[in-house]
Amino acid sequence: MRPYNIFSEALRVAYGDLCFFRRNIIQIIISSLIGPLLYLIAFGYGMRSGSTGGADVSYISYIVPGIVAITTLTAGFASTSQKILIQRLFYTSFDELILSPMHTPSIILGKSIIGMLKGLVGSVAMLILGVALSDTLFITPALIACIILASFTFSLMGVMAGLLANSSPTLTMLSSILITPMTFLCGTLFAVSALPELFAMIIWVLPLTHASELIRSTALGWSFPWWSLLTLLAYAAGFFLINCKLIKEKLY
Amino acid sequence: MLAKVGVPVRFLAKRKNRSDKAPAGDEASLNPNAGCGVAVPAGDDTIILAKDIVKSFGTNIAVDGLSLSIKRGEVYGFLGPNGAGKTTTVNILTTADLPDSAELYIDGVDALSNRVAARSDIGIVQQQNSLEKEISVRENIVHHGLMQNMSRKQIEARMEVLCERMQLTGRLDSLVRDLSGGWKRRVAIVCSLIHNPKILFLDEPATGLDTQSRNLLYSMVKAINAEGTTIFFTTHYIYEAEDLCHRIGIINEGKLVAEGTPDELQSMVPPSALVVTFEDGREEVSYHANHEAAQRAALEMEGATSIAVRQSNLEDVFLELTGRSL
Repeated sequence: MRPYNIFSEALRVAYGDLCFFRRNIIQIIISSLIGPLLYLIAFGYGMRSGSTGGADVSYISYIVPGIVAITTLTAGFASTSQKILIQRLFYTSFDELILSPMHTPSIILGKSIIGMLKGLVGSVAMLILGVALSDTLFITPALIACIILASFTFSLMGVMAGLLANSSPTLTMLSSILITPMTFLCGTLFAVSALPELFAMIIWVLPLTHASELIRSTALGWSFPWWSLLTLLAYAAGFFLINCKLIKEKLY
Repeated sequence: MLAKVGVPVRFLAKRKNRSDKAPAGDEASLNPNAGCGVAVPAGDDTIILAKDIVKSFGTNIAVDGLSLSIKRGEVYGFLGPNGAGKTTTVNILTTADLPDSAELYIDGVDALSNRVAARSDIGIVQQQNSLEKEISVRENIVHHGLMQNMSRKQIEARMEVLCERMQLTGRLDSLVRDLSGGWKRRVAIVCSLIHNPKILFLDEPATGLDTQSRNLLYSMVKAINAEGTTIFFTTHYIYEAEDLCHRIGIINEGKLVAEGTPDELQSMVPPSALVVTFEDGREEVSYHANHEAAQRAALEMEGATSIAVRQSNLEDVFLELTGRSL
């Protein structure tokens, strides 16, 4: 019996999703860029201004990292949650996965790979555009690492939502309650400090706020927000453990 | 009044050479109390050993102390009306679901404490085709092989053999969504067999298939079993079970109410069945030692609009045991 290698097993789990990704890569890239481009046009060029929290950068430079953070959220969450829901309820191919000799952590990691990949591809495409529009934005290895971490965290959240939702309307409701408010309020399009204090404290608890902080700081060369890194890692670990429990105890 | 007295030929044709199908060393016995805590024999030839499975959903007890012992190399049919606990039992045997309490061994491995190891010995064809519809047949098969820890080389070699047998070779690059139900079922069977499992679970495999696909499926089941794979399958088609299975278990209200070879089960009711339909649409079936006795009983019937004498069959056994038809 071969020794357990979580990464090797995760790639085995992800193979089907990766085949789908490869077959539909053009459509996936186009669809994952539509939303971020609309944000860029509507806020960056339509509104033209917003609170940057006192930062000495142009508004375009400020919101591009925010839009990248939104991309990691929407691509990571939507692709994994919808795929798992469909595979569970309509194709029942998720059962095949559960009935295979793959270990539970590998299944969770494997199912999050597609979201992570979509988040990364969409984010990098948006960043390339952002670098062309702003001379204060830089693509660095630290920035890519932060994007991967954010996409991974939101993919794990998507896995959780895909396991917990028992119908498409439920998933849509979860998305409306969780994703849409975070998209607009978590320091993506304007600084959290612009919000009323109590409200800002709640917003600081949410993971997108910290993803946004991490991505913006690394893209603009600001001091690294270690606290946001730890918070995002804690969220990723939390989602991972919850997913383990959901699958092991078949609570979905 | 006698409206019709006759013996349909198909029932007679079914009862031929049953004994030649039993695997070597098969000591299957009629065990109407198997679900009531009777000790299950264990031995080297037992590949699935389940003891006292209990599973409840809220206040509803879906499986109530059911025990099963499946022998290596046999085809075991699992019959039961809707809601009898059939699917729940299969889900537990395949480790898809956890029982409230049970002991379960798959080829000697404690499948409840070591689910991952037990799953390597199992192949499953679910009632619904659980394939990825948006990727190709080849990609689906490779994905299943990878999930069974196989190397690409092993997968390619095994895929070639299985696809040849299932006449799938020309369709390997088709998207699954473009295939008909029969072809999808063939792909699902190849996927389930890619890792050469010791046990193949088939959950109502013929549902939704046309006659041609169904016949191909039956010949496939026989061929797979001839290679030594143990087959456990659930079905609503009683003739399918009669034709394919070495042994059959009947479940009702979460309990195994009968188990044995088709002939052993058949002997639970007398051989001649008298079916009487009355003016109000009511139908009554009575069983008799022979056709002459059934015909004599038919002559005494009053108020009947239709009377038929036929050979009793497994469906009659099922009806007698469960009070319901399949």
